[in-house]
Amino acid sequence: MTRAGGFIVAAAALTLPLWLASAYHVHVAIMAAIFGVLALSLNLLLGFTGQLSLGHAAFFGIGAYTSALLTLKTEWPFWPALAAAVALAGAAGWLIGRLALKLRGAYFVLVTISFAGVISLVSVNWIELTNGPLGLPGVPAPELFGWSLRSKTAYYYLVLAALALSYLVCARLVRSRIGRAFVALRENEALAESIGVDVTHYLVLATVVSAAIAGLGGSLYAHYTRFVSPEVFLFSYTVTMVIMVVAGGKGTLAGPLVGAVLFTVLPETLRAAASWQWQMLAYGVLLVLLVFFLPRGIVPALQALRGRGAS
Amino acid sequence: MGKRSVVLVALLLVALAALTVPGESQAPIKIGVIEPLSGPVAASGNYVRMGAEIARDWINAKGGVGGRKIDLLIEDNKSDPKEAASAAEKLIVRDKVPAIMGAWGSSMTLAAMPKLEEYGVPMVVETSSAASVTKRGNPWIFRISPPSEMEALGLERYVDKLGVKNVDFLAVNTDWGRGSITAFGDMLKKKGASVGVAEYMDQAATDMNAQITKIKATGGDTLFLTTAVEQITLVMKQAQEQRLTRKIVTTGGSSSPTQLIKQAGAAAEGSYHIVFFMPWFPEAMPDGKLAKAFVDEWAKRGHPFEGLTEGFRGHDGIATIAEAIKVAGKDDPKAIRDALWKVSLMGVNGPIKFEKDGPAGKESGQSQPSIFIVQIRDGKVALPDFLAKK
Amino acid sequence: MEQLLQHLVNGLVLGGTYALLGIGLTLIFGLMNVVNFAHGEFYTLGAYVAFAGLALAGVNFFVALLMAIAAGAVLGWLCEVTLLRPLRGESIDTTMLVMIGLWIAMQNGELLIWSGVAKSIPHPFPTAPLVLGPVAIAPLRLFVLLLAAALIAASWLLIQKTKLGRAMRATFQDRDTAALMGVGIGRIHAATFAFGSGLAAAAGALLGPVFLAYPSMGDLASLKAFSVVILGGLGNLPGATIGGLLLGIVEELGAGYISSGYRDAVGFVIIILVLLFRPSGLFARQERIA
Repeated sequence: MTRAGGFIVAAAALTLPLWLASAYHVHVAIMAAIFGVLALSLNLLLGFTGQLSLGHAAFFGIGAYTSALLTLKTEWPFWPALAAAVALAGAAGWLIGRLALKLRGAYFVLVTISFAGVISLVSVNWIELTNGPLGLPGVPAPELFGWSLRSKTAYYYLVLAALALSYLVCARLVRSRIGRAFVALRENEALAESIGVDVTHYLVLATVVSAAIAGLGGSLYAHYTRFVSPEVFLFSYTVTMVIMVVAGGKGTLAGPLVGAVLFTVLPETLRAAASWQWQMLAYGVLLVLLVFFLPRGIVPALQALRGRGAS
Repeated sequence: MGKRSVVLVALLLVALAALTVPGESQAPIKIGVIEPLSGPVAASGNYVRMGAEIARDWINAKGGVGGRKIDLLIEDNKSDPKEAASAAEKLIVRDKVPAIMGAWGSSMTLAAMPKLEEYGVPMVVETSSAASVTKRGNPWIFRISPPSEMEALGLERYVDKLGVKNVDFLAVNTDWGRGSITAFGDMLKKKGASVGVAEYMDQAATDMNAQITKIKATGGDTLFLTTAVEQITLVMKQAQEQRLTRKIVTTGGSSSPTQLIKQAGAAAEGSYHIVFFMPWFPEAMPDGKLAKAFVDEWAKRGHPFEGLTEGFRGHDGIATIAEAIKVAGKDDPKAIRDALWKVSLMGVNGPIKFEKDGPAGKESGQSQPSIFIVQIRDGKVALPDFLAKK
Repeated sequence: MEQLLQHLVNGLVLGGTYALLGIGLTLIFGLMNVVNFAHGEFYTLGAYVAFAGLALAGVNFFVALLMAIAAGAVLGWLCEVTLLRPLRGESIDTTMLVMIGLWIAMQNGELLIWSGVAKSIPHPFPTAPLVLGPVAIAPLRLFVLLLAAALIAASWLLIQKTKLGRAMRATFQDRDTAALMGVGIGRIHAATFAFGSGLAAAAGALLGPVFLAYPSMGDLASLKAFSVVILGGLGNLPGATIGGLLLGIVEELGAGYISSGYRDAVGFVIIILVLLFRPSGLFARQERIA
């Protein structure tokens, strides 16, 4: 990504509400940004350490519920609730990381799925805490120094800031020694271990940070949609995140962002373009086509394009 | 390489196009409809849509509302609250609909409700049964379906005739199922019945043998069952396999007795069902002619008969909105909202008129729909034995 | 005690189902290393083909079952050749994504064709249950259990005793050597995927009449299949069989004695525990866990 290109994208993102056609489009942009945060978090695990977490919706959901419950039932202000959501989701990540100490590949996947399954069932059945299937309506909007961030434009800047923060954290992490350890883990674990990389420690670290960021996404989601129900734990959310990361280009930093924008805009485009019978079918077909033509993802394909153009 | 970039560019263009295409022209009156048209409850959502389409065509055949035709903008909420909210946002902001009907499931409706308040657009709720929908203090909500409490009250006068003394519950583990258990449980306890166990099933579950085994062990005389028709079929078949012999009463209005007879056969014999529309005896409905006309039109379009018990909701919802637009004299959301308080019309279910419900100053509207109870006897839907004339 | 026996019987019948699903997937996921999210859709396909055969064409039960298996196998073969083979060198996530796309497309295609209304599949068995002491079991379910057992045995025989089975095992143990020995790698991959998908379709055709056929029936099936595969050890047929039976029984007992709301949680917790203490699955021998 050239500096000029990056600058243009940043400028466009910062001024988005001004040139988008309507509040609906800002809504789509907000959802894209929230999923951008989620995709970035999954990418840390999937793209950089090579471990697939198919229970990622659990961390998202834990963040959403924590934030919603704290602001609704104990009337905490938004910012501490957000911090708690991040912390609790991170703690859950730590638990998974420790539990999955010796597990890799398919087994890690299954543990994450099972964990998400258990948490989902708890959210449905533990009525006293989560209100069960009826969900938590009326989650309050955030406030900053007395200003309510309820309006779309304000909320957009909030999520944009969160997205930028997440991106920075991921970028710093990935470019540091820790990041190199992640990649070593992904490429050849036995070799990494043999040269003294504490593989378990780094896997746990990756899981914690990944889960924490997902928790951030969850809290942002809860305070935007102002309604949290057990559906946040739906497997389809995890699947969507996976699609975004892999189709966007896992293991790159821009990939998840591109994936998040594309796969948030695509269903909405299909909503406008196709009648409801064909929307999801078209979505599936388009996904297959995309993977077929760009198996490494969009960003790596773009990088290859530019590489060829340059030479 | 060329192939790849073409696909890439095409995809990006499609994405960009979506963001900049302006809305359509405004001559017909647009009404938004949000239903689950895909996912696990796609059948129900589609029935409601079919009923809505009949209402639209009837109204347009009579000249529309104030000389303008009605256009239904139908959105799929994919059985997901997040999508329900997105659909509402799109309908209100992009398509500028002045009124919406939706969103079937209670959690989908609840998710869309903040958007209604944000933009000031009324929504007629045609199916959701959670009490909270009208109790949350959202003055843009008008519900024509009964909350579980109202449903339970509708059954109250038959409890003695039914001979219900020891009850067990089996319900789908959603807001609807749980709300139903609470509402009916309270009502039955007030009538002196005793409540045994309350078992749940996951919405996608197909094997309820464990729950049935537990229920069988309580020795009760009645089982109250709340879920959609597919699961009711499975429960009945499995109950038959386990030789569970007791009265079964289904609640919630989604039991589609005709479909049950087809799919559960003898296992459904003798069961009672609370419904909000009796397509088997349309003449017995409050407006017999309208009900019969609806049943006939439904059949003419080749829709499955089983869908009638849910399809009428779509009709009544659209009819209500159209009436409100007529009273308001214009398709402005706030005017329609005010008009909804004044409407009094006859739907397929019966009279529709809204009473205040919820916290003072921010009341939602709740109508008092008619509630019926039928029974499956000799492989056919009939009036219950305790009501049938000798 | 009565309850316990009934629960065990219920669990066994359910477990047979899971086992059938697991076997097909353990071949595809365990041997071919494809995270096949569309596995449940082949299950659904089998149910709908059985429906078409029994309710619409009026053929008998066995013919319908064979039609379903054939449909699953043919479509599976097609998918492998058109979708997976071109992506052969790519990472496991890429193939997983293609399978996700296939999953979405298939399920919504079914929704379009059959509509969301569940279909009841007619079957020739009497509905009155067989009563053996305190336990009741429907003849259809008993039949399903027996047929499932037969299919499982047939699969095992195919893998262990036939030339095709040997070629499969060779390919997935050491591909290059197998190729050198003259095994057509491409054909083996296609055949394996077809075989696994055919089994899933068989499960759907058998279970369709027990329950109902509807477009989203495969979602839960996929998830349970993955659990069974990992419980039993990747690529391990007997392991998948026993794992499936165990999962069914454990779920049933959990729902019966702990709480029906948390029924699926019991299964998940067991999986987590198993993986903590025996990561390579309950039955695998010393396998590398990566």
